[in-house]
This record gives sequence, C-alpha cells and structure tokens, in this order.
Amino acid sequence: MPDQDHKCTCSEQPLVPTIVEVIDIIDRTPDVKSFFVRNVDGNGVPFQVAPGQCGMVSHLPIGEAMISCTWQEEQEYLEFAIKRVGLLTDELHQIEVGQKIGVRGPYGNGFPVDACKGRDMVFIAGGIGLAPLRSFIKYCFKNRADYGKITILYGSRSKADLCFKEELFELWPQETNTEVFVTIDNAQADWDGHVGFVPSYMEEVNPSSQGAIAVVCGPPIMIKFVLQSLEKMGYNDDQVITTLEMRMKCGIGKCGRCNIGSEFICLDGPVYYLKQLRDLPPEW
Amino acid sequence: MKEITNKVQAIAAKLFEEGKIDVFLAWEKGELNFKTKSYVARNALDVKNIVFDEYSIYNVSNSLLKFRDSHERIGIAVKGCDSRGIVRLLEDLQIKRDRLYIVGIPCPGMKDPLAAARNHGGFSKKQEEDGLAKKCLDCIQPNPVIYDELVGPEQSPRQQGDRFARVKEIEQMSADERYKFWEDTFSTCIRCYACRQVCVACDCRTCIFDEMKPQWVGRENSSTDNMMYHLVKHSHMAGRCIECGECERVCPVNIPLMLLNRKLIKDVGTLFGGPEAGMQYVEGSKPPLSVYRENDPDSFL
Amino acid sequence: MKVLSKAKLEAALNKLSDRNEVFVPMQKGQQSGYFTWKSFENGQDELMLDALNVYQSPKNAVLPQTEKMYSIKSQGVEVNIDQTYEDAHPTIIFGARGCDVKGIIAMDDVFLTRGYEDSFYKARRSGNTIIANACYEPGANCFCNAMEVNSLEPVGADVILRDAGDGYVWEVKSDKGEAVTALIADLLEEKEAKLPEVKPFIQKVDYSGVAEKLKSMFDHPLWDKLSQPCINCGMCTYVCPSCYCFDIQVKMWGEEGYRFRAWDSCMFEEYSREAGGGNPRGASKERFRQRFLHKLEFFKERYGTPLCTGCGRCIIVCPTDINIVRIIDAVKEAEINA
Repeated sequence: MPDQDHKCTCSEQPLVPTIVEVIDIIDRTPDVKSFFVRNVDGNGVPFQVAPGQCGMVSHLPIGEAMISCTWQEEQEYLEFAIKRVGLLTDELHQIEVGQKIGVRGPYGNGFPVDACKGRDMVFIAGGIGLAPLRSFIKYCFKNRADYGKITILYGSRSKADLCFKEELFELWPQETNTEVFVTIDNAQADWDGHVGFVPSYMEEVNPSSQGAIAVVCGPPIMIKFVLQSLEKMGYNDDQVITTLEMRMKCGIGKCGRCNIGSEFICLDGPVYYLKQLRDLPPEW
Repeated sequence: MKEITNKVQAIAAKLFEEGKIDVFLAWEKGELNFKTKSYVARNALDVKNIVFDEYSIYNVSNSLLKFRDSHERIGIAVKGCDSRGIVRLLEDLQIKRDRLYIVGIPCPGMKDPLAAARNHGGFSKKQEEDGLAKKCLDCIQPNPVIYDELVGPEQSPRQQGDRFARVKEIEQMSADERYKFWEDTFSTCIRCYACRQVCVACDCRTCIFDEMKPQWVGRENSSTDNMMYHLVKHSHMAGRCIECGECERVCPVNIPLMLLNRKLIKDVGTLFGGPEAGMQYVEGSKPPLSVYRENDPDSFL
Repeated sequence: MKVLSKAKLEAALNKLSDRNEVFVPMQKGQQSGYFTWKSFENGQDELMLDALNVYQSPKNAVLPQTEKMYSIKSQGVEVNIDQTYEDAHPTIIFGARGCDVKGIIAMDDVFLTRGYEDSFYKARRSGNTIIANACYEPGANCFCNAMEVNSLEPVGADVILRDAGDGYVWEVKSDKGEAVTALIADLLEEKEAKLPEVKPFIQKVDYSGVAEKLKSMFDHPLWDKLSQPCINCGMCTYVCPSCYCFDIQVKMWGEEGYRFRAWDSCMFEEYSREAGGGNPRGASKERFRQRFLHKLEFFKERYGTPLCTGCGRCIIVCPTDINIVRIIDAVKEAEINA
C-alpha cells in the first residue's frame, strides 16, 4: 500500500536520465534483445537494482519506456531484455554497440526476496515475462541455501521465442534441488519437448503448494489462467506473487498513468502478492 | 414543442412495445431548465424522460458512434443537422440503415445550454444573449434530410446573407496576414479535443492524433502543434463537415472553428460541385474526397 | 488591519510585476483565465478579481500545459543533455479563490511527497507566492465547502485578500507573504474595514462517506448510466484546478531538440494504451469511472483529501452536462448489492 516513507535514492532530478553506453547487445529471440549498458567513463553503473526493480530506458530522440532490469551480483553493468512492441522498442532494436542512451532508476519495489527465504519457490513465466523473474531466479541460485526446492516453468509461442535458452537448458537444470519445465504453444518439427499452454502444463507438473511461493509473470491472459490454476492447486493468495505492467511515463508516481486504484504501479509496485491485488480494482 | 415531445414519446413507446427497437436516442431534461442533454431510452418506461425543447441542441447522431459495434436496433430523434450526421455515418458504413428508425423533427432553432450554463455559473460579468444559438442562426437545413417519420411542421432556413462572407474576408488577406490571423486564433487552443469528440464526422476508430507509431502531431501546446492539429483535423473535414456547428459551440476558448469548415465547404463546392455533405443519402454514395479512382488525374494518391 | 485600496490596485500589481511574473484572473479577448499582469491591455482586457472565478485555473503557473524539461543533442552514437530547464523565477498568483489554492496544495502533495520530489515542479513552486481572494458569496455551482476547502481561510495561501468594498483587506499568512507585502508596503494603509457578509452555499453536497462507499462500487451498474452522455473530451480535466496528469514527449529538429511534459487527460483513449496495444481503460465508461474514482476515492485514499475542490468549472463547461455533484449524489443514493 502507499509507502509514505519511501527513501529516495535517486538524483535531485529524478526525471532527467543519466547517459550510459551500450556495451553489448545479445539477440535473445527474433524480437527480444538484451542491452548491456554502463557509465560512459567505463566504470560501473548509474544505479544498483534489486531483483524485480525496473529502469526507465531512454532512447533520447525517440522516447522512454519502463523496462525490467536484470539483477546481477557484481553490478558492473545493467542488463535490459527488451521485446520489440512499439515505437521506442522498434528504434532500440536498430541501435548498435557503442550507442549512448539514457537510463533512470531504479524504480519499483522489487521482489520480496527476504520474505521468501526458507520457502520452496515456483517460478511461472510466459514469453518476455521470464525477464523479471530471471532476476529473482538468479538471486535464489546465488543464495541457494536460503531457498528450498526451485521449480521453473516457462512457456512461449514457439521454440524460437524462448528467451534465455542457455540458462533454461544448461545452467539452471544443473542447480541442486531444481527442476526446469519448458513448453511451447504449438508443436514444431525441431522440438521434442512439451507442447501446450503454461497453465495446463503447470497443473500437470503440479508443484506442491505446501510452504511454497509461486511467482508469476507473463501476458495478461496467461496470468489470468495461471492464477485460476494455482487456486485449484491449493495456493493461497498470500503464496502468489506477480509483477504488473502498465503504461508508465514518469516512473516516480506523479504522472498518473499507471494507477490501479490508489496504487501507482511504478512506485508502489510492480510486485504484488495476489492478496494485495484482490483489494484493488480489477484493472490489472 | 410540448406537442412534439409527446409525439416523439408516443412513437418511441410504440416502437418499444412492438419490439422494433432496443434503444431510443434523443434528449432528456437535466436538473435545471436549460440542461437538456443526450439520452438513451432503453425501454418503454424510460420513454417519459424523452424531451424535445428549446435546448435540444446536442447533435444526437454523435451518440450513434457508441452503438456502431453493437447489434441493437435503434430509434433516434433528429433535427435537420443531426439527420445530416446520420447520412455521414451511413456513407462511412459506420452503421446500417436497417438498424435505424429515424424520427425527424423540423427544427425551429435552439438555444445553447452551454451559454445558459455560463450565464448561470457566474464566472463572467457579462450575460450572453438568450436568443437562438449562433449555429442555429447560421442554419441552412432545419428539416431532416432522412427519416422514417416526420414530426412537426417544416421550418425555413434561418441563414441570412452570404454564408461565406467572413470566409471571403479572410481570403482577401495577404498570406502573412492570414497566417498571423490563424496563428493567433489557434494560440488559445488547450487541445482538449472536444471539437473532435463532439463531431459526428470524426468517426475514425483510431484518430491520427492518437496514433503514436508514428506520432503525426506533437502534444506540445505550441503554435506549430496547435496549428498542425487544427489544419489536419479540418482538412479531414473537407467534404465531410455537415455544418452542425457543434465543434464551435462546445469550444471552451471560443475558436471560430466553423470559419475553417466553411472555407472547406466553399472550396469543395467549387472544386467538385454536387450536394454538400450529408444533404442526401443515396446508398453507396461517397463524399468527394472519399473516393479513389485509378484514373484519377492527380497522382499524389 | 492592512488594506489595499482598490484605487491603488493597479499600482500594486505594477509594483509586484517589477520583480515577479504576476498571474491575475482576467477576461482576455475570448479567453477567461489567469494571465500575466504585464500582458493586461487597458480597454481590451478586463480584470476579474471581483468576479466569482475564471474558466482556466491558475495551475498553469506551477504546472504549465507544456513545460520543457531538458535539451537533447544526438549525433550518431553520441547523445548529450546539456541543459535542464528547472524554472524558479519569481511568480505570484494574485487573487486565487480557495478552490484553486486547494488545487495547488493537492498538487504539492503529488509532486513533492511520497518518495520523489519532482525537480521541475519544485523549482516553480519555490519561486511561487499565492495571494488568495477569500470567497464570501458562493456561485451556483460552488461546493468547495463539501470538498474540505475553507473558502474564507484558504489553507496554503501566503496572503489572503478580503474584498471590503473600496479596498482589499491584506492578511499576511507566511514568510513568502511577508516578502511580497514588503514590495508594496507603501501602498497599504492601516485602517478598519468592514468585511462582507458570508452568503450560504446554493449547492448542497454531502461528500461524507463517499470515498469509503466507492471502494465497493467499482463494478456498480451506475457507471453505465452516468457515463452514457460522456464523449471523452478532455475539457473537464484541462479546466480543473487539480487535475495534474501529464505526458512526457520529445521534440527534435534534426540532431537537436528537447524533452517536455504536457498536460494529459485520463479521458483520452491513448492515455493508458500500452505499447503492445492493450488498454486497461479502453472503453469510454472505464475512463469516465477512472476520472471520478480518482477525484473522489483514490486520491483521498492516498493523500487523505479528495482531488475535487468544488470549483464547479467542469459542471459549467461540460458539453454533455456531466455533473460531478450529481455523481456524488448518485453514489450516496446507490444501493449496493453484495
């Protein structure tokens, strides 16, 4: 709920971006790229992020958009995985390494990583929705002893649309007490894995709700059905966490766009327990 | 007008009772005498709220836009100008003729509830005149051009003198004077888009001004962006404006929007001839600037 | 008490304008709003201090409809922000009614609290002094008393004027008020003045319990009926003294340009449309509901006060007669079936 004592860690000019340099760009899928940035003097980053926090990425002559920022243990650069969906992201996908862009942040509350300690974690993601969860997942593996069993369930439209394939298929499955399940919407020739939508696959996998926390992110329609399935599987509203997306302009709870009820998603969110969302108007 | 109200109510009640319509669009009374506004009656019981009085100025055809994606059968009461709006929507295929039952009302001219509201509100030291609204004094078509049933006696056009007199004055200005005139005129615009929203001819599903990819017109309140907004909007009205005058009536900063519309009406008339927008409905007909032909002498398309 | 005689009003405005940009309510051609005293043209413009109010609120002085934020220079891979445009030049809003003062105080809550201070707003506000004009005779659409505004003692004003016939009683309320008073000290007289009689409100509005009741009325059928006439123009939001939502956009001419913000309106479909095309408030009704819930419920929940100040402007200008007072009534009367 509205946090009046939120400590400001931002600059004196929260709406003015810091210029950074794009030092690497990786194609994740045909329409998702990761952009790695760091300060123009080559040292460090303008701000540190906690898992689940966001940054406003600014291609200055074009516009700005709020993008989930990947948490790293050694924060020598910031990573933004960006899907091409609109005017700004189209333009961002055209830039090359060496381009200077603007960033401001960090914004939002981030995942309750401490409150989840000692729990079994179930991460459920669809499409680009894996980007924010990936921060939390990485954090769990970095602090492996603090968390119980980890189940990762991820789906996308096709094999090509699966983000972060190296982590999904190589790194994460090797972690102790961890299971990774991947599905795609429709069968295709070079795919021998699971085919089907995330909610039904989740019911098949059926990760126990006993002492577990489910963290969900994906397209709205997926979230809707995953939440219904989780309820069926015995998850209470205080065992389910999701991260919301709304149109944002300022990122600091002023411009008014991203409100749901009296909450500003950019400032009070984007991470919510389902229990909290149930108290809000059903616009999420 | 009481008599017309009674007749319209009776027609609407009958249509509901016979199951011929699902809604009836007209006007209702607000809490004060001058507050007549658009109304959607949904059943025979609602019909008693329908009113036609000296303040029924709102162009009800605009309300049809909220029904263009539904399947409800619609009864609608229209004045002359409102009926031209219906023709526009039919021509643009926004609504089907067989969904409509049109009750035409020859219009004796209306007063402006907004002017009355301003007088009542007490923000101004001067009272505005209580006579017919400006748009009604300029009216060339008080009688509905399309209807299934007509209620009340025919009325005569109220427009006097040369309808394009002011347009011709502006045309006489030098290019610089004219630019200055429009720049000053548009400088007061607050970009509330009321002129667009109230316009029945503005029936695009996604307006160019809401288009963000690419963004055609900036959001700055500057002479460039303001002028871009008005000139683009009004160019789109060429051959489409039905001269209902609602845009100018609702403008909160009194921009003389009909001056631009009349200029375009005059030019389209000169260039293409034919009936003015919304003056007659012929199924399949299109206004001049909505037609594309491969053998068009101009190549810009 | 200190009194500014009306005969010396223009002299005072001239003097204040030496070092300040002074925004005064006036009728300027076809426009009615707050304009700078320096732009006042004798014989053409009309000073509106003795009118009930003007159509455009004074919020423009602290949140301009368009406000430049910072410069952008973009050449190849290089991009620079050479300049930011925080503007703290001294301004005075002269003669604001209590409702309009409350609008600015509400915006102070938005822009200066809850974690972040907006540097652009903060700069403008730091240079801004409010001289309020106490209101003794409410108009036909006034209901500020129901919206936690005291029109006789506007909270947040630096000076309060009271129209006593021949002159204005000049009541200093803050250090900023002292500072502007010092500028015109020689024009003020020390004398007794008879204050006008306080007239009753014509509108009877009962807002008590409305915010709480609305909490369970998000899906109430009344929104269908109330929103039906609304055409979703932004007039109500732009004349409103407290609507503050803004958009951030960019303007470039080749390699140079700037980022600016501009008033936006929750009434517009584009306002909440997401990059991917989805829109949580795509329908007319949803945007209508958002506006009134924000005014009457959400803002109260977040900041402890409603975001409507009872000025009545939207009631006068709405082309389809949407009336926030009737909406409050409708909410009060609505039955809630659980």
